[in-house]
Amino acid sequence: MISRPLRPPGAIAERQFLATCIRCGKCAQACPYGAIRLAGIMDGLENMGTPVIRPRKNPCYLCMKCPSVCPSSALKRTLAKKEDVRMGSAEIDKKTCLAWQGTVCRSCYDDCPIFDEAVKMDDKLQPVVDKKKCVGCGICENVCPADPAAVVVYAGDVS
Amino acid sequence: MSRKNVRTLVQAASLVLIFLIPFLNRKGITAIAGTLYSLAVGPVWITDPVIGVQTILATMSLDTKLLLSILIPGSVALTWGRVFCSWICPQNMISELFDALAEKTGIKRLFNPVPSPIPRFAVLAVALLATLSLKFPVVSLLSAPGIISVQAANLVYDAAVGAELGLIVMIALFELFIVRRIWCNHVCPVGGFLVLLRFKRTMKVTFSKSEERPCDGCGVCVETCRLGLDPMGKKLYPLCHNCGDCIAACEGVKGSANPLRFTF
Repeated sequence: MISRPLRPPGAIAERQFLATCIRCGKCAQACPYGAIRLAGIMDGLENMGTPVIRPRKNPCYLCMKCPSVCPSSALKRTLAKKEDVRMGSAEIDKKTCLAWQGTVCRSCYDDCPIFDEAVKMDDKLQPVVDKKKCVGCGICENVCPADPAAVVVYAGDVS
Repeated sequence: MSRKNVRTLVQAASLVLIFLIPFLNRKGITAIAGTLYSLAVGPVWITDPVIGVQTILATMSLDTKLLLSILIPGSVALTWGRVFCSWICPQNMISELFDALAEKTGIKRLFNPVPSPIPRFAVLAVALLATLSLKFPVVSLLSAPGIISVQAANLVYDAAVGAELGLIVMIALFELFIVRRIWCNHVCPVGGFLVLLRFKRTMKVTFSKSEERPCDGCGVCVETCRLGLDPMGKKLYPLCHNCGDCIAACEGVKGSANPLRFTF
C-alpha cells in the first residue's frame, strides 16, 4: 500500500496527474534503471497502471529520459534539468538516523545527486535536508543503512 | 500467399512486437517504444484516438502533441476502416483463437444475440461521460489492447502481471461460454470509437453479385467470419472490421470472379 505515490520527474499535480496519465507505461519503458514501476490494484483502482517510484527498492537517478516520452503531458515534457525536478522531498528521522544518533555515517550526503546542496552536513556532521533544493529522487532513502530507512522521501504536489 | 495467411502473419508479428519492443527498450534500444495506448516510432507518435479524446475530456485541455499523435491511426481508420482491430489488436487475436477453439470443441454459448452495434456505442458514450464527470481516464482501463501490451511489457520487465489482465481472462471466459465475440462486437470502446471514423469512401466489404460475379449462396463467407456476421447481408457495418477473411474464402471458391470484394 502506498498512500501518496512518488511520481516520475516532471509529474504534474497529483489530481491532474491521475486525470491526464493514460496508463500507457511508456515512461516505465523509458527508464533505464527500472525505477519506474506501474502501480497495481493494491495501490488502489485510481492508481492502477500509473507510474510510481519506490525509492527503497530503486530510486530515480534523474537521467531525465522519462518526461519527454509522455504522450499526454502527465509528465511535463520540457523538463530537462535535474535541479528543476520536484518529485517530493526527503525527511530525516533524527531518532533513527545513525549520524544523528552518534554513529559516523554520511551515506545520504555522499550519494545525493544535488551534492552538498540538497543534503548538507551541519557542524556536528549530522545530515540536514534543504527542502528548497531537494528534488525527491529518493537516492538517500535507497542508500540509508538504517532499517527501516531513517530518511524517507514524501511526494509533494508541485503545481 | 492468400489474404488470410497475410493477416495471420501480421497478427503474429504484432504479437511478437508487443513483447519484443519492451525487451529491446530494456536493452537500451528505444527507436520504437510504448504500448498500444501510445507508441513512438522514432519521432512519430501514434496514440489510440479514443485515448486522445478521453484525455481531452478528463483534463478539459488540448495537448497539441497528443492531438497530432491521433492523426495517423485516425487516417488509417478513415481510409481502411477498423483494420487496427482485425490486423493488429491482440484482443481480437485472443478472441479469434477462443472462437476457433469453441468451434472445434463444439461449445455452445448460453446466449446467441444477433450482433448489434448499439451496445458498443452505449458503452463508449457511458465511458466517455464517466471520464468527463469523474475526471478519470475510464477508457484506459477498458482498452483491452492497451492492457495486453502494457502487461506484456510488465511480464518482460518484472516477470509479473497486474490485475488488469483479469479483464482479459473474463472476456475469454465470457466469449467461450456466454456470448460469442461479445467484447469486439458489443463492448470495446476502442473499436467503438474507430467506427465513428468512417465515411462513405472508407474501405468496405461489398457484396455485389452479377453475371460476371455470380453467388451461389454457398455460405463459406458466413462460416469464415470470426465475428459471426453475414457478409452477404445488408447490416455488415459498423460491425465488420475489414479483416478480409470472407473475401479470401469467397476467392477460394470463386477465384477472381468473387462477388465479395473490398471497395472504397
